[in-house]
Amino acid sequence: MSMNRKINLRVWLKIPDAEAATVKNTLIRRLGFGNVLDDVKKERLFSIEVDSGDPEELAKSFAKELVNENKESHIVLIDELKFEEDYVPVKVGLHIEDGEAISIRERLRSRLGFDNVVDVKKATVWKLYFNTLKPEAQIKAGEIAERLLINPHKDSYEIMI
Amino acid sequence: MKIAVLQFPGTNCEFETLVAVKAVGMEGEIFRWNRPAGELSGFDGFVIPGGFSYQDRLRAGVIASKEPVMSALKEEAGIGKPIIGICNGFQILVETGLLPGSATSCGNVDMALAQNVMVSQGKIVRRGYYCDWVNLRHEAPSKRCSGSFAIERGALLKIPIAHGEGNLVTTTPGLMKKLNDEGQVVFRYCDKNGRIINEFPFNVNGSTESIAAICNEPGNVLGMMPHPERAFFAWQLPAFDPRKQRPDEPGPGRRVFESMKRYIEVNA
Repeated sequence: MSMNRKINLRVWLKIPDAEAATVKNTLIRRLGFGNVLDDVKKERLFSIEVDSGDPEELAKSFAKELVNENKESHIVLIDELKFEEDYVPVKVGLHIEDGEAISIRERLRSRLGFDNVVDVKKATVWKLYFNTLKPEAQIKAGEIAERLLINPHKDSYEIMI
Repeated sequence: MKIAVLQFPGTNCEFETLVAVKAVGMEGEIFRWNRPAGELSGFDGFVIPGGFSYQDRLRAGVIASKEPVMSALKEEAGIGKPIIGICNGFQILVETGLLPGSATSCGNVDMALAQNVMVSQGKIVRRGYYCDWVNLRHEAPSKRCSGSFAIERGALLKIPIAHGEGNLVTTTPGLMKKLNDEGQVVFRYCDKNGRIINEFPFNVNGSTESIAAICNEPGNVLGMMPHPERAFFAWQLPAFDPRKQRPDEPGPGRRVFESMKRYIEVNA
């Protein structure tokens, strides 16, 4: 009996990320998080579910399609999703229909011939670097998500700890 | 009668919007976002024009909505001054909580203008940025809203859209019913005969109930995705429209700015 595998691609800019800089600036200058927040970084996350094939090899092929190596770096995680310890990761995704994720799935399946792709999900992971202890940092991360990172009518968030 | 046309970094329709404001006989000036916000109180009305404030970073309108100038604008809205948000201006007003702006929500964000998803016969046929001429049907009674004050109910206007995030969605219970019951739906996308067909290409962005524009409860704040300043003069109309050949005629978008002027005159 075959079991579906999940290929997670964590993708980030290796050039300066203007969007993350703007979010950091707004949190510090406009929303009063300057005393607890040190830095903000951002990643794109693609979670691709496949029902057959070697996930390591498939991940290389998917990365060729979804990552621009001229400006981006990435890591692959198979059947797991973990983050480093020095920040609070907040995953933000659409809870309404995600047209871009659907397009990526169709592109991989129909145009590029990856028939084994079952589903594609896409999210943004905001990496919030705090200068406070973890329990407070997690509470602040929730506040940041609700006050800026999401519009609850289309987005949902999850603190990935 | 003096109108402030707000300019954020990335706004790109402020100059033609100012031309439209002046062409209907109002005074106006461009008000940069980093001017002392208190200076807004010297104006009689406000337009937040289209563009890509802060490059649409994070999501359209949200970074601008956190600027001090928007807090000041909330106060001006509270005393009944008219505000028209066009395209990105509408997105900013939604993220600020000024729209739909019920008296009970206390500035909460009650809806979103999500990414366009064009649906036809149950299938997504297109998504993302889209620009085209669209037909709008005026849904509110005349005098209900500052930006359509002088437009009769049922009037049809041909005005262009150009956006990637105009898909009105909400999870607020009862909001759609309230918008409909209280006349806060100002324009809907329609076909050339005024029929509402809730699919692409008539509903150009997947917006709930084909909504293109709404106002707040008191009616002084209007947000609309289409660009009336781009259809202000008949010569701006597309080549297939016969009115283009009569350049002295006003374009349909003029009526939005005339409405604002009339609203201020009546409520002064």
